[in-house]
Amino acid sequence: MNPSIIGQMAVSGALMGLVYALIAYGFQLTYATSKSINFGQGELVMVSAFFSLTLMNLGLPYWAMIPGGLLFGALMGLAVERAGVRLALEQKSEGWILLTIILGLFFFSAAENLWGRDDRPFPTPISADPIHVLGVDVTRLELSVAVGVLAIMGAIELFKRRTLLGKAFEAVSADRDAAELMGISATRTVMLSYALSGAVAALAGILVSPITTVGPTMASALILKAFSVAVVAGLDSGFGVVLIGMFLGALESLASFYLGSGWREAPGLLLLILALAVRPTGVFGKAAIRKV
Amino acid sequence: MRRILLLRGAELIVFAALAAIPLLVVNPYALGLLTLLAIYGILLIGLDVTVGYLGQVNLAHVAFLGLGAYTAGLAVTKLGLGMGPALAAAMAVGLLLGGLLALPALRLEGPQFALATLSFAALSTTALNELESLTGGAQGLSLSRPPVFGHALTPPLFFWLCLALMALVWMLMRNMLSSQWGRAFEALRDSPIATDAMGVGAYRHRVAAFSLGSGLGGLAGGLYAFNFQYLQPQSFNYDLMIILLLGVVLGGRKSLWGAFVGASVIVLLPNLLSNRLLFQIFSASGFALALAAGLRGLVKKITRPFQALAPVAAMGLLVVGGLLVENTEDWRKAIFALMLFSVVVGLPEGLMGFLSLFLAKLFRVPQAPLPKPSDIETILPTHEADGAPLLVLEDLRRHFGGVKAVDGLSMTVRSGTIHGLIGPNGSGKSTVVNVISGLYTPSSGRVLLRGGALPTGSLFRVSRSGVARTFQNLQLFGELTALENVMVALKGVYRSPLPMVLLGLARQEERRAQADALCLLDRIGLRDQALTRAKDLTYGAQRFLEVARALARKPDLLILDEPAAGLAHPDVVQLIEIIKRIHKRGISIILIEHHMDVVSELCHTVTVLDGGKVIAEGSPDEVKRDPRVMEAYLGQPPEPGPSGTSDPSGAPVPEPA
Repeated sequence: MNPSIIGQMAVSGALMGLVYALIAYGFQLTYATSKSINFGQGELVMVSAFFSLTLMNLGLPYWAMIPGGLLFGALMGLAVERAGVRLALEQKSEGWILLTIILGLFFFSAAENLWGRDDRPFPTPISADPIHVLGVDVTRLELSVAVGVLAIMGAIELFKRRTLLGKAFEAVSADRDAAELMGISATRTVMLSYALSGAVAALAGILVSPITTVGPTMASALILKAFSVAVVAGLDSGFGVVLIGMFLGALESLASFYLGSGWREAPGLLLLILALAVRPTGVFGKAAIRKV
Repeated sequence: MRRILLLRGAELIVFAALAAIPLLVVNPYALGLLTLLAIYGILLIGLDVTVGYLGQVNLAHVAFLGLGAYTAGLAVTKLGLGMGPALAAAMAVGLLLGGLLALPALRLEGPQFALATLSFAALSTTALNELESLTGGAQGLSLSRPPVFGHALTPPLFFWLCLALMALVWMLMRNMLSSQWGRAFEALRDSPIATDAMGVGAYRHRVAAFSLGSGLGGLAGGLYAFNFQYLQPQSFNYDLMIILLLGVVLGGRKSLWGAFVGASVIVLLPNLLSNRLLFQIFSASGFALALAAGLRGLVKKITRPFQALAPVAAMGLLVVGGLLVENTEDWRKAIFALMLFSVVVGLPEGLMGFLSLFLAKLFRVPQAPLPKPSDIETILPTHEADGAPLLVLEDLRRHFGGVKAVDGLSMTVRSGTIHGLIGPNGSGKSTVVNVISGLYTPSSGRVLLRGGALPTGSLFRVSRSGVARTFQNLQLFGELTALENVMVALKGVYRSPLPMVLLGLARQEERRAQADALCLLDRIGLRDQALTRAKDLTYGAQRFLEVARALARKPDLLILDEPAAGLAHPDVVQLIEIIKRIHKRGISIILIEHHMDVVSELCHTVTVLDGGKVIAEGSPDEVKRDPRVMEAYLGQPPEPGPSGTSDPSGAPVPEPA
């Protein structure tokens, strides 16, 4: 029960938790405009990471690879929207749940066969040497994750508030029908949200890969925790996912330390079922009034 | 009779043929496949309850298979139980944990429900893996089939056991799913709010459905354990879950035959994938099917272009992939994905949904005949109204944040009257109705029915107290027929407990319910369309059906929420007739309506709301002349006429608040 060990575990767990927060933020983006989320988001993270690795293997430097990776993620997001979501939304059905799961399965299988089943290292110019801050060791790599996550979330939030396109995004989120009547295309806005969500997923992959390595199953654990974060925090609070993400990251890091690494997923899952039972709209979510 | 003969005959032939196979062919491999078919059949019938009938994406079913398997395995190895008790324990674990999981999942819709079940599945895999002292963890758990009545179970005997259990499950589930239980499950899928408002208890039915489906999963798990005699936690993974979903969706939802076809596909898939030629034939026929279905859909204009073309593209990819790829086993997930995608998009009813139409035509299976309608007097006996206060609202308030939608409202509805509730848009009419009917809990104030407190905040309990309502935005059970919509709501007919229903001993009630519902449909002129799905009815017919469904609650007080909204003139005339006839049977009515002519013709008393408060009350003619009412509707006080026609009583016009 050394307090400095607890502090160390909590801090590195919380930094990892920011990755969950970023993926959860991707869910929020599409949920805001279309009330749908991509159940295959984890596969998007993984496929984008593989693609980025390939770009670097082709000789592209790390910093030049990032825009390429993000663009790829955005295109994949658009593909998911077109193939898996649009029809179901038009029919006002929940078929998108099954369809996005199916698309994720397809991407998984494709990645497994195109890039192989093995985990591969993901080179990065950022150093992994620990630096001592306030009694705990953190690496520059872990800090880069935090910076990257907060930077892109800040950028997207600014975009939503400051630009005309961003305001259209907010308008469709608030009231789809009213926005359509004002001449905003809801379909295009949903496409935009899926593209942004895909880019966010790609960045999550690029940020986390140097720490976890790249492999077909790299995202299967990540995605469960991102789901937990999104639901516990609520599907409409960007601030909430950051807070809950860090909390959950710290919690599971401590759980794996004290209960054994096999149990590291358990707190997130329990928290999720509990949150769904007690507060289905999430800790930071707004309760909607049922209308008939 | 011909219908019963054909349907039951088909079931009998298939089961007899399956049972006879081990007698004719001695092939351990084929026997293994058949045993698996029976086990997966039970598993998929269970999954179909949640995925098909409840319409929820359930990702936890594989967990119940695993938990059931481990329960049976541990019961035999650690407790030394026999096969029967072990299977019962496996099923009980499924029933219990399924019910427990459904409790928090009660308020969850669509994506959240899927997430909750996904988490449960992940959690149970973690537990099976980590509780090593009990389950052996990743090492696995070996067990052997205990003898039954002193006889060792040879593979054929075990197969017959599985098949017999599947036949039993099939029979019981057929009885249940065609009863009021199955209808309630489907009603829940289409509109949980209306299910509650029709007194059918969304909560208990959702828990029951999920628990039942999971129990079957547990039972299948027990058989799975005795079949393989070796268990590993990682067998019950996400991949298997996807395959199970593939089975249900491909076979066809809401169909026992669909589950059977799905199970056959799942069992045969590995063989299909390991043989290249077989796979190419299979993918080519899939492509042809998609092309034919797509073209037919496009020509007849019943599908959108995407719906027709996407499956063709996916199947095309499967054909091309099959030619390019050396080892199809490696790509199995992608193959599942493409198949599932094509079916979900292009053939939402599944293979059986598609085939059953075709087969029904081929064998000319007739529709089940409907009974004679009951006499209306037996359903809604006429009773004299005494004019006593029926519903009393006392200083009712409902605030949403800072918005005072209803702000200190008091009114009395007398029994035997038609009481109009009018007011401009946003005056709080709908909120009042939603508070009375239990959708919203009042912020303060009291609601009394016949002097006693009416339950608040529960649609279900209000409905059970004798208050029925219709919905302004239609809340019909779209996939159910008009007749079934009324049957769901029917009060006082279904008395048999669940075991009787399961054993098929409640058919008499079912006939009675049909007859009663048919009578109510007759009253609103929809008897001819009794077997049309609600979503395929015309708009006017849907509005009338809402009324008939509410009547099936046999209410003391009927609340009609804008029943004439959007109706064409002839329909409005018919609606007025219908309401008059309901009133004649002694049922009191609250009518929310914008059409002044409807209100004038029907209502005895009218209450006018504005800003959540009562601004006038009286006979239709009185309120029409009330200056405050005119102001509320027209926005400014009326100009005083030259000869003082504005107010017959001559009272001074009060200042607006």
